[in-house]
Amino acid sequence: MTDSAFPQDPRAPRPADPPPAQPPSYHPGSAEPRLNRPVHERYPQIRPTSGYADPRVRHTGPGPGAGTEQEPERSSKLSARLALALTVLIGQLWALTIVVDEWMSGNTGTAWWGAGFLVLSFLVVLGLWALDPKDR
Amino acid sequence: MSVTEQPPAEGSRDTDAAQEALHDRIAADSLTTRRDYLRIVATVSGGLAVGGVAVASGILHRHGDGDGTPEPKKIADRILPGESLAFRYPGDEDRAIAVRMADGTLAGYSAVCTHLACAVLWRKERGSEGELYCPCHEGIFDARTGEVTAGPPPRGLPKVLLIEQLDGSVWAIGTARSGESLQEGLCRQQGDALRLCRGGAGAEGERSERT
Ligand code: FES
Repeated sequence: MTDSAFPQDPRAPRPADPPPAQPPSYHPGSAEPRLNRPVHERYPQIRPTSGYADPRVRHTGPGPGAGTEQEPERSSKLSARLALALTVLIGQLWALTIVVDEWMSGNTGTAWWGAGFLVLSFLVVLGLWALDPKDR
Repeated sequence: MSVTEQPPAEGSRDTDAAQEALHDRIAADSLTTRRDYLRIVATVSGGLAVGGVAVASGILHRHGDGDGTPEPKKIADRILPGESLAFRYPGDEDRAIAVRMADGTLAGYSAVCTHLACAVLWRKERGSEGELYCPCHEGIFDARTGEVTAGPPPRGLPKVLLIEQLDGSVWAIGTARSGESLQEGLCRQQGDALRLCRGGAGAEGERSERT
């Protein structure tokens, strides 16, 4: 053992007993009983009305996919809007540096064009935000 | 040891309950949804738009912006080669630096770094003929042109036009913004008062005046 390629730290903790010959038997859930509590006990913020369990969602009926998201497009559309808005925001940060630069070197006209760009970008973000369907 | 895996406290049930509550709070779902993020992004975006308009309408101070034409001001009886002098021109808050290089060239610049407004220093032992150096983030400006040669500053330094009288005294007579040449700056400030500006430089001066 001592002349192995990877000598062990002599002070490192070692397993108390040799590993069992058999892997531990399988049982569902966690070894920690705390983690086996029902979901609404572990996450009180998840209410019956949040997310997938919203009763206003149309019935799925039995069958594959029952109880999951009815329209995955809703969720991906929301992600896409958020991604677009963040992209526009990055463009705005860039434009603001340009505006400051131009103003400081005396090109006030260019700075105003940049300010217009910033306002237009804001309108785009507002539009993305306002696209929200109102049903949920 | 992380907050979530403290050894069970002996005795007091009080701390136990407190820990439990803390753990519960940490482990709970975040309630910020993508819709909330979208709202936050929209707010920040509006803030940036307002900031852009504010900048374009002039909340930032430019070196030499003030009321009217700056008066000539005597800044020193003489400046020896290799030396620099800090002064204020044209306003009291417009920090500036005058540099005489080893070959006798006299140059004046704003001493406010264009990056984050630290003070720019003259370092005659740096570079081949000395350079203007900002210690905050190692910004370096060419002492002859005021342009950025290294570091983060986005623009060259605004210039201060210096002239030397026959008796060696140095006067500041005008300023120029980052992108401008000294002549453009001078003509913008003096208008048609100078013969220099009435010729070809007039159009240039007008352009700056209008902006
Ligand atoms: S403030 Fe001068 S380099 Fe950053």
